[in-house]
Amino acid sequence: MTPDDDLAAAEYALGTLAPDERAAIAARRLREPDLDAAIRAWEERLAPLAEAAPPIEPWQDHWPAIQARIHGGAGAAAETTASGALIEVLMRRAARWRAAAIAACCVAALLAVGLVVRETQRAAGPREYVAILQKDAASPAFEVTVDLDRQEFSVRPVAARTPPGKSYELWIIDPRLGPPRSLGVVDEARRGLSLAAYDRAVVEDATYAVTLEPPGGSPDGKPSGAPVFVGKLIPVGP
Amino acid sequence: MTSGARARGDSAAGESDLSGLIARVAAGDEAAFADLYRLTSARLNGVVARILPGDAAAEALQDAYVRIWRRAADFDPAKGSALGWMATIARNRALDEVRRVRPLSLDDMPEGFEPEVEAVDPLASRETSEGLAALIDCLKALDDEKRAILMLAYYRGASREALAKRFGKPVPTIKTWLRRSLAELRTCLGS
Repeated sequence: MTPDDDLAAAEYALGTLAPDERAAIAARRLREPDLDAAIRAWEERLAPLAEAAPPIEPWQDHWPAIQARIHGGAGAAAETTASGALIEVLMRRAARWRAAAIAACCVAALLAVGLVVRETQRAAGPREYVAILQKDAASPAFEVTVDLDRQEFSVRPVAARTPPGKSYELWIIDPRLGPPRSLGVVDEARRGLSLAAYDRAVVEDATYAVTLEPPGGSPDGKPSGAPVFVGKLIPVGP
Repeated sequence: MTSGARARGDSAAGESDLSGLIARVAAGDEAAFADLYRLTSARLNGVVARILPGDAAAEALQDAYVRIWRRAADFDPAKGSALGWMATIARNRALDEVRRVRPLSLDDMPEGFEPEVEAVDPLASRETSEGLAALIDCLKALDDEKRAILMLAYYRGASREALAKRFGKPVPTIKTWLRRSLAELRTCLGS
């Protein structure tokens, strides 16, 4: 970590980085423990300032909504433990939708298999989405679960094993964002990672891709090669 | 109860109570979480509502408490106050919202910034913890304009662009000032 990085960490904690810089630092801290520690140290330095902010009574009681959400969260966790069964369901859906998806979407030409499945979104219930990142329909490699309400995602390798001396890195790709943006190294399962830097519509529509990178991730924040696994989100019902 | 009385009550009820509640929340105690919400919601709202407008602030506040519930086990009293830890979670959530990477060119639009709304002045704070007192001493060493910039960034979530406009300086100058001030704070705090 350079002295500049510590000042970037400081500005991250203060909140004055531009949106692009903020998203880049948020992705880097996932794979750079020094940077992560520097951000936490700055948060701790600045935290006492919050004591001086006079209270403002919320204009509504948020407790019922919070209570409902922490209970909903427990249910969602139970649901993902059955992800083996979920994958089977997804694979069946994928087979059904694949032909139409490839015809519909030019992204497929670029990617090994572009799996695009949009289903009618349910009006209520948790906004949970899953993407199965794969080479082809028979070999799911990673499962990405997105909770749009919490702006968080979890990722776990389903069948992927990191080759020796390499790392897998996850990217979010959408024309509206410009170049691919790193979501961090995903050599092992990770939970509760933030997507808050990204607009909801972008998170829903983006392509998620995994590339092989040097250990610890891409040195320059750009993918080193073509994606080895790709997928898009599909909604899973409440 | 006036909000002033409540504020004093909260900070007096303070640290050990809040730390104890967070420890119970970490063990899944929902009653403790309800108490924690009741004791701190106006404080955390005071952080997010200065950065975000109405509905967005409400959403951020709810998100912050859901995160506090899920991350309570991460709280380490050795690293700072319970209120500071909670406020950091709430503030980060609000900052993620105002600094979100958006499609199109919304980024380019100047942020609404009412000049008549002043940032909180921690130097006028009457009750201070040890941590805040140390920080105030270091803030006093900065010149007035640089301190004001830092405070607007902290309390209002002001962007470099908004600060540049407000203080009539180019954006790179604001960035340089921010970083210089932060580096001075780091040295002054001796860590």
